[in-house]
Parts: sequence; structure tokens; C-alpha cells
Amino acid sequence: MLDMKNSMKRITLLYVIFLIMTAPAMAGELNLSVAASLKEVINELTASYIAKHPATVFVKNFGSSGTLAGQIENGAPADLFIAANTEWMEYLKKKNLVDGSSEKTFAFNSLVFAGTTKKHVSSMNDLPVLEKIAIGSPKSVPAGEYAMAAITKADIATKLEGKLVMAKDVRECLMYAEIGEVDGAFVYRTDALQAQKAKLLFVVPQKLYPRVVYPMALTVKAAQNSEAKTFEAYLQGAEAKSVLRKYGFLLK
Amino acid sequence: MTLHIDIEKKLGTFSLQVKADVSGERTGIFGESGSGKSTLMHLVSGLMQPDKGEIILDDQCLFSSFKKTNISAEQRRIAIVFQQAMLFPHLSVKANLLYGFKRCRTENRLIKPETLIDLLKLQPLLQRGVEYLSGGEKQRVALGRAVLANPRLLLMDEPLSALDDTLRFQIIPYLRSVSEEFRIPYLFISHSLTEMQLMTDHILEIKNGRCIDETTAEQLARNRMAQSPNGYINLLHLSCPNQQRGLYSYKWGNNILFVSAGEQAEQSLFELSSREIILFKKHPEAISARNLLDCRVAEMFDSDGRVGVVLSANGEKLVAEIVRQAADELDITIGSSLFAAIKASSFRKLA
Amino acid sequence: MVLAPEDITAIWLSIKVALTATAISLPFGFTISWLIVFKPFRGKVLLEVFINLPLTLPPVVIGFFLLLLLGKHGWIGKLLAEYGIVLIFTWKAAVIASATVGFPLLVRSIRLGMESIDRQLIDASRTLGAHWYDTLLTIILPLSFRGILAGSSLMFARSLGEFGATIIVAGNIPGITQTIPLAIYDYASSPSSTTMALSLCMVSVLISVSVLFLHEGLTRKLDRSRAL
Repeated sequence: MLDMKNSMKRITLLYVIFLIMTAPAMAGELNLSVAASLKEVINELTASYIAKHPATVFVKNFGSSGTLAGQIENGAPADLFIAANTEWMEYLKKKNLVDGSSEKTFAFNSLVFAGTTKKHVSSMNDLPVLEKIAIGSPKSVPAGEYAMAAITKADIATKLEGKLVMAKDVRECLMYAEIGEVDGAFVYRTDALQAQKAKLLFVVPQKLYPRVVYPMALTVKAAQNSEAKTFEAYLQGAEAKSVLRKYGFLLK
Repeated sequence: MTLHIDIEKKLGTFSLQVKADVSGERTGIFGESGSGKSTLMHLVSGLMQPDKGEIILDDQCLFSSFKKTNISAEQRRIAIVFQQAMLFPHLSVKANLLYGFKRCRTENRLIKPETLIDLLKLQPLLQRGVEYLSGGEKQRVALGRAVLANPRLLLMDEPLSALDDTLRFQIIPYLRSVSEEFRIPYLFISHSLTEMQLMTDHILEIKNGRCIDETTAEQLARNRMAQSPNGYINLLHLSCPNQQRGLYSYKWGNNILFVSAGEQAEQSLFELSSREIILFKKHPEAISARNLLDCRVAEMFDSDGRVGVVLSANGEKLVAEIVRQAADELDITIGSSLFAAIKASSFRKLA
Repeated sequence: MVLAPEDITAIWLSIKVALTATAISLPFGFTISWLIVFKPFRGKVLLEVFINLPLTLPPVVIGFFLLLLLGKHGWIGKLLAEYGIVLIFTWKAAVIASATVGFPLLVRSIRLGMESIDRQLIDASRTLGAHWYDTLLTIILPLSFRGILAGSSLMFARSLGEFGATIIVAGNIPGITQTIPLAIYDYASSPSSTTMALSLCMVSVLISVSVLFLHEGLTRKLDRSRAL
């Protein structure tokens, strides 16, 4: 009887110590849900931020904006959300999951068509000669939504039926283009710049699709988090802008 | 039919070495379970290959390890009646019967399905599936199927062992009628001496994978009389039953026999153990046994310390078994006159 | 239940891919099962392990290997490209993915069916004059029917649900390779499409249930026709 009481005490003590040990980790942890096309930029920026704020730990989640919004809606931990279009930011704003007052614009981008095809492709009207074109799934990938808008506006939607390979985010699009299993893909200009094998074939005329804008905001749960606020402010600063320029993002 | 076998086969620890020449149409292969009878059948039919040796059927070499000949089972035209019938469950009785027939070359199709179906009384079963046939019906179909393949040789691998006694001896007339009608030579494999006596003339006795004797059913029965639990089994064909006062009187050749377990059927087969016959030198004036036959000793033989006395009763043959001492005491010799007493309850009906 | 026209396409595509995968696998599945059950040969264990491999591998791994093999730079892909045949990212690739993943299930069922055939029945057919191909067609095939049926249903159902290998080697192409699971995945990535996803899920369940009922019904018919 006494033995049991002693072991119970011991277990409780260990548990408390464990909690205390993990607590600091949870305190300085920042959860970022970021659009896939910003992967390299954010990686570089978080690295230099840690250099100045060594106690910060970043947990980064890259994916298509629609998927990320869905995760946040379902309770995934996120402090800062950066989307690749306004649609998914509005979606979370309507559900009161992001703090509207913290919303800022992070960057801009443009849509291009890149691929390894040997065929002559220099404009939207040339696309129907291709066999397979990768596009982010318009249901959840902004790059795909922009591309679909352009395809519809350029009146080639029916001609491209059965040729569109759905990707789960813009980076998968790029991958398809890189390995050559598709003739080309609709990606952002910044992605095309990263490509090794796929060549930038043409820039999609801006008049065919709405501007690519990356809104960012704090989630409601992180609205009072000073760490999060500081980081968001950092992303608006000069250093962030120079990194963005380096990777080819537009600032206005 | 002539079959020359000179083969060796090793299966794990069991080794078979048989050298025998078989001729005639009704040959038996006798032995206990595990003696190698089934293996021998598999080797003759081509389902299994001997390690060494020769098998020659009617001047055609079926297998020779020296000449590197091996005719496949499909081409040997040796059909088998299996112990468990082995009817094809997805085919009707008719389809089963015709399976081998269809695969037989036209010039070899000497036996016609209609004749066989009549003989084996299979007409009512033709359209049925085989699953719910009785044991006896299944074996009849199995027999029919094997015969309709028009084989040169029929192998019957303990075809009656899976049937109960009454059924067993009901099927034997079918087997015999088929054999007589179509004259297909067969090898009948069994461990039952009675079946051997009814079905075969010439017998190969197999023990531990060796052929230890080539003999006749009669001789075999006599040799085994002492060790067999029921001695020598006399098989009696009785007819014209007449029921009187709780007993049946039957005609046996020129004799009348009284049997307790009789039946109305005109012809019946009964068995009588040699040990159930009591011999008297003189007429026992009053005796409880209902049968008393006046016999003459036709033959005598020794069997492991017992003496078999072959009696002639008005032209019919009966074998009685007595100890050596009794034979000496009664001074029985060939030609002696004896009385054989048999209880009415000693007869057992087979079919 | 709301179904968009692309969903209807996905449903037809799923059924088409599953039927084709099952149909082309049947002759191979039957032959291999026959070899494994009735023919002794060295290295049989290796064959069995190889056949069962897709059962234990994650489907994405299978998809990846298929991509390596059949892609532009894969050694079969390169060969076919010379004749102008491209398999990757076509519905044929979806069929191949489903066939590969479902094949061990098919073989397993047919094997079980064949193993339950009494060997003496085969002995009987041989001694009645049937050569090996005759026995195969008239005895082995009919008697393994139950196994073939079970295996086909299993494989068909598995193909309907095949995702991992399909998305890698056939891609998610609406109208061409977007089968039901891929369409649901598309919907599931988008938080505003949950009702659409649910509708397709319901259809998926309906099809599976129908296949199971059909299988049961056919099996019973088969048993009844034997017990005359």
C-alpha cells in the first residue's frame, strides 16, 4: 500500500518535470502555414530571424493555400497564414479564424508557362498542340485558379479538355514539368526561375487573370502573441523585401 | 491380355520392387494397406513413373528406363475405377459417363453408351448432378465412365472398400456383368479375400512392396484360412427361398439348406465360415443344427496347423476347418464319408 | 446528393479502369496460379514472393516503381516511346496501376480455389484420355470458378479504391485518369467542397456494396447449379 503511494508520487513528479521541460519549447514556437511557392523565401527569412532571435522555434507548413485554409479550419495549429490569393484569406476571415486587423500584403507574383517540350509554344493559343499540361487543382491551389481563369479567358478551355494534369500544389506542378512527364506547367515566375530543366516558355498576359497577391495575417489565436506580431513586422521590413526581390517576387 | 511388369520405385522409406507376368482377364492384386498395391496401380496406369524397369502391355512397351520410353497416362488407354469414385462434381452423370468416350478415337469406340447405361441401370440418373448420389450409385457411374473410355485394361483400385457390406455385394454383379459383356481385362485391387474370390481368377499377392506370390483366389483363401479371423469363407449361391416356421429353406445345387436370416429374393449370395462346420464320422441321430449334409471328402490341405477339408455335397463344394488333432482322431482321408452339421444362423447374407 | 458532370466522368472512368484491369489480369492470374499449384519447378518460392510483393508495399512505392519502369526514361518506357506508345499519365497507366496492386489478390483467391481441387480428379481425367490442356479447360477451370469469381470481385473492388499508385503513375487528369478516389482527394484538399466529396464517397460505397452483392449472388447460383 505504501509502495503504491510512493510510485504514484514519483510518476506525478516526473510528469510535472516533463511538462516544465516542454513548456519553454511550446512558448517560443511559431507555427507558419505558408503557400508552397514561398518555400525558399520563408526558409531564408526564418533562418536570418533565428540568428537575431535565437529563442524562436519555427514550425513551417508549406502547401496549397486551400489545403492550408482547410487545415486551419479544422484546428491545425497556425500563428501566421500567408496565402497565394485573397480568396483563401477571405475564407478564413469569414470564419473568424484570422485577425483581419493584422492583414498585410506580403508580395506579388506573375503566372508563366514553363516546360521541357520541344514544340513551339509562345502564347496561350499554342497550348492546344501539347499533350499534357500540369496545373494546380483549381479547387484548392491558387496557381491553378489563376491558370484556369486565364485558360477560360483565352477561350481554349474546351481545346484543353483531357490534357490537364491536376497537381496538389504549384511545386508539384513544377516537378511534373521538370521530370518531363508533362509538356509544360502553369507555375509562378518565381518557380520557373528555380527550374533546372524546364524553360520559361511564355508569360501569361496579365489581362487574362487577376493579379497574384500574397496576403498574410495572424490567426485569431495568435493575435495577442507578441512573438508572432514581431515576426509579421519583420516580414514587412527591408531585409524581407530584398530576399523577395532576390527570388523574383514583385513588390508592387 | 498380357502384362509384363518389372519395375522399381522408391518413395521416401518405402521401396517397391515388382517383377510379375500377368495374363488372363480377371486378375487380382491382393495385399494389406500400405503393401504397395496403390503405388503399383499408379505406376501401371502412368500416373507415376518407375525409377527403373519396364512395363509392357500386350506387346506395347508402356515404359522402359533402358529404351527411355514413357507413354503418358493420357495415351495408355488404361482406365481406373477409384475407391472414392472421383466423379467430376461440375458435370452431370451423363457428362461424366461420356468424358472418356468423347476422348476415345472413333475406331476404338467399341462399347456403346446405350448398352452400358442399360446394363448398369443408369438411365434414371443421367441428368442428375453427382453430389447427391448414393455411394453405390456413384460407383456404378464411376464404373460406367471407366468402361465407356473403351480402355485396353481396367484398373479397379479397391472400388468397393468405401461401400458398406450390403452395397458392396450388390455392385459385384454389375462389375461381373460388365466384364462378361464387354470382355475388358481388369486388375482388381483389394484387401478383401471374399471380393477376390468373387472377382478374380489369378492373383498377385503384394507385401511390403514385393510380389510374394502369384496364385489363385482359391489357393490364397486356403493359405490364409488359419490366420484369417473367419477362416475360409465359403460363398454359396442359394435360390428359391421358402419361408417355413421362422426359417428359410433354400436350394443349393441339389441340396436344401435352412437359413435363419433369409429373404424373399429369388437368388442370394451367402457366406459361411469354415469354422462354423462341425464334422461327424457317424450320423448324429438327433442334433439341434438344422442342416446336416452327407458329404464325401474330395481334398484336404494344410494351413498353419489347421486342416482344411474340402467336402463334396451332392456336387457342391464346401470347405470345413478343423484342428490337426481332430483330423487324426477322426481318421479323415480323401474319400471318407462325413456328415457336416451347420446351424441355420451361421449363414450370412451378402447380396 | 450533388454530382457535378466531372464526378459522373470520374465514376465511369473508375468502372472502366477497374473492369479493364480485372479483365487483363484474369488470364495471367489464372495461368500463374495454375503454374504455382500444379507444376513443380525450381524457384517457385521466388515467384510467389514476387507476386505477393504489391500486397505488402505501400501503393505509392508501387506507383513510383511503375513510374521508373514506364516513364520517359524507364527501360520499358523508352522502348515503347520508339513505337510512339506513351503509357504514363494515360488511362492505361491507371489500368496498369490497378492491375499491379490487385494482382496478388486475384492470384491468392484463384490459388485457394485450385488447391481445393482433389488431385485424384485430375488423375481420373488423365486416365480417361485428357491431355494437360484438356484437363486444364474441362476440369481445372470449371472447378476453380469460385476462386476466380472471388478473386475478380476482390480485384475489381480494390481497383475502384486504388489511389496511391494511380496518382503517381497516371496523374490526376479529369476525364482521363481522375477516378473516384482521385476526385475525392481533389475535393478533400479544398475545405469548401466537403459536400461534393461526400456525394462521391456515397457513390463509392454504393458501387462496392453492389459488387459484393453481385459476388454473393453469383456464388450462390454457382453452388445451386452443382447441387442438382
